[in-house]
Amino acid sequence: MKILETIFVLILVAIIMAAGNSMGYKIDIISSLEALAVLVVISIVGFLLSKLPGLKKFPVILWVSVVAAVASSPIFPYHKELVAITDQVSLLAVCTPVLAYAGLAIGKDLALFKNISWRIIPVSLAVFSGTFIFAALIAQVTLHWEGVI
Amino acid sequence: MEVLKDYKLHLIAFLVVIICELIGKQFIWIIAVFPMLYAMIFGGIISLPKLKILTNKNMQNASLVMMVTLILLVAKLGLAVGPKIDMILKDAKLALIFQELGHFAGTILLGLPLAMLLGMKREAVGATYSVAREPNIAIVADKYGLDSPEGRGVMAMYICGTLYGAIWMSILASLIAQLNILHPYALAMGAGVGSGSMMAASLAPISALYPELSENINAYATTANLMSGMVGIYIYTLFSLPFASFMYDTLARLRRNK
Repeated sequence: MKILETIFVLILVAIIMAAGNSMGYKIDIISSLEALAVLVVISIVGFLLSKLPGLKKFPVILWVSVVAAVASSPIFPYHKELVAITDQVSLLAVCTPVLAYAGLAIGKDLALFKNISWRIIPVSLAVFSGTFIFAALIAQVTLHWEGVI
Repeated sequence: MEVLKDYKLHLIAFLVVIICELIGKQFIWIIAVFPMLYAMIFGGIISLPKLKILTNKNMQNASLVMMVTLILLVAKLGLAVGPKIDMILKDAKLALIFQELGHFAGTILLGLPLAMLLGMKREAVGATYSVAREPNIAIVADKYGLDSPEGRGVMAMYICGTLYGAIWMSILASLIAQLNILHPYALAMGAGVGSGSMMAASLAPISALYPELSENINAYATTANLMSGMVGIYIYTLFSLPFASFMYDTLARLRRNK
């Protein structure tokens, strides 16, 4: 996708997210749209950054995370207002369209899935569980050391 | 503008989102299920090739749009980091560094022995060295090529992750959080696996159990995820892939000697 098209698609899915936010979490549509507008701006800044020569080594989502983290930290003068506006959109409402589109793309992978051995299913569950469980266990121990928990 | 103009796809996605949000959060036994999970399941059913609702082109567009929606998700998550970053770096920097070990070694430690018990060959190396997201495919492609056994392993895992990674993470996180053994911040760091949708899916049940801590939970998870994203490419190349290969050779020797 070209840069301009990506920006239009961002706006389109932001509208779907605002509608979902307003329906599912009882937040009025104007506040939902405002919150999403801020997210769209952050996304576009991160997206354009990731297209600059030299910054291409890391993926778009990393740059967007960094922009969002900086914009919400005290370095940025309007960080309080920004966080207050974006709090109007629920994290869950942002996730639903992501997985809806992921679901709508599943059909094309099913044929590939049928061709792989059943063995990969238990192995994949062990891999996903392993990364979560081991990291959580180590975090539990080290957070305890540091006196956070 | 072909992707933007796929009206049919966007209309279906819109309806799926609205219907799922209206159903809202439900419980199956003790597992909390969220609208995002029904959205994936409904979407998956609609996309079944037998039903002939979506063409292959629609599905390819859906997968492109998904990448874009992921940008917005990451922006939302990133906003949880800023207000808490000082606190996390001050109080929990060791945890932040060490939990990455768990992320990177955990896939291999749990996955590789099982893969070999089930009789997988070198495919096991590609399949278990990481959670097999896009950058991981690129790393294996670079070192072994995608036609190699390792390449087939990583591709098979990629498909599994796409199909049910988020669903599984959500169920797992819900169950482990209910056990009440690990602190929600530790669980949150565990959830930062380096994949936006898997992280979001595992965060939802943790936040639902501890609503009063949800801001901190999001901040811990996202910081851990950011860390995985930044150091990931180096660790996967320099440590994970060679380590998985070494573990495979060692276990294969044991298997032969038996």
